[in-house]
Amino acid sequence: MRISLILIVLANMIVHAQNSAIGISEKLTYTASYNMSGILNDIAEVTLETSPVKTSKATLMRLKCTAVTFSKWDNFFKIRDLYESYVNPQTLTPYLYNRDINEGTYYKAMKYTYSHKTNTVKTVQTKKNNNIENKTVSIGKGTRDIVSTLYTMRLFDYDTMNKGERKTLTLIFDRKEIKAQITYLGKEEISTAIGKKECYKLAIGSSTEILKGNNNNLLWLTADKNKIIVYGKFKIPVGNGELKIKSASGLKQ
Amino acid sequence: MKTLFIILAVITSILSAIFAVLPISNLAVIPAILAFAFAFAAHYMSKKEGEVRKIIPFTFFLTTIALMLSLYKAVFIASEVTQTESLEAKEIQLEEEAIDELEELDLEIEEIEDITIDE
Repeated sequence: MRISLILIVLANMIVHAQNSAIGISEKLTYTASYNMSGILNDIAEVTLETSPVKTSKATLMRLKCTAVTFSKWDNFFKIRDLYESYVNPQTLTPYLYNRDINEGTYYKAMKYTYSHKTNTVKTVQTKKNNNIENKTVSIGKGTRDIVSTLYTMRLFDYDTMNKGERKTLTLIFDRKEIKAQITYLGKEEISTAIGKKECYKLAIGSSTEILKGNNNNLLWLTADKNKIIVYGKFKIPVGNGELKIKSASGLKQ
Repeated sequence: MKTLFIILAVITSILSAIFAVLPISNLAVIPAILAFAFAFAAHYMSKKEGEVRKIIPFTFFLTTIALMLSLYKAVFIASEVTQTESLEAKEIQLEEEAIDELEELDLEIEEIEDITIDE
């Protein structure tokens, strides 16, 4: 019964939404804080940026997400992470995805090349010492990478959703498909660095242990046409923290 | 009991000083509060007995310095990102590689050929 329900939800999830929220040269900057003994410490700057990418045949949109630790942490634990997805600017359908992780002494790179006709993804994983692993994985229709999923959340029409209504998205992470649930919790007004904003409050859950518990991972998206993420609270296996917007530029609306 | 409070005051004041010089300077406030509490208790007991050991005012001094340093860092030192050159170079490299790869995705690109972007 549950599986049937999920399938129904998934069937309804084939995103027909067109992009009316994401600008082509948008830049959102956030401060990520980590909770230590009840006190929040600013750890890293997270940037979400969009830009046009021209090929000889089409203009795509590059969705880029970087996470960089503040200089005071660099001597202890240096993070230089880059996630990017090249997508159809209207539907956010991804064509190519790159992930380049540099965390202390840990390095990992992952590339996905999508084939939407065969519903497969050609993956290349590179680890330290140039250890390369190629693998082709099958994906379902509508499966996206983490970056395009994050942006796809901004295409939904939350005004037509009822409190507690849930949407399910399938994303591919570390070459495995994960189901993410977005639950609409209503509207809430919050103060941010870019002013007081009326927001859509969303709870994010997943089928894995990456995001722990129910309603422990929350996102606030501005309740306007841009639907930008202004605030987030997360709980992961190693602790909890916050994501606060610092600045926003190049917004579409 | 007095000796125990002195030991705890010394430990927590040293801890607050260590936290204050580390990036986690915000956390210095927790051991600092404990250090003050233990030091006050030790000071009160010592005064009752008529002999205040020099280590007690030292813990007050060390904790105050730690708190001031923590406050200074919170107010005057802004969090900033540096050493991003390698990341920026990686971004450029990945974009160039991606464009080459996207050029090869003929079949995939067909459906989006006519797309224009609303700026």
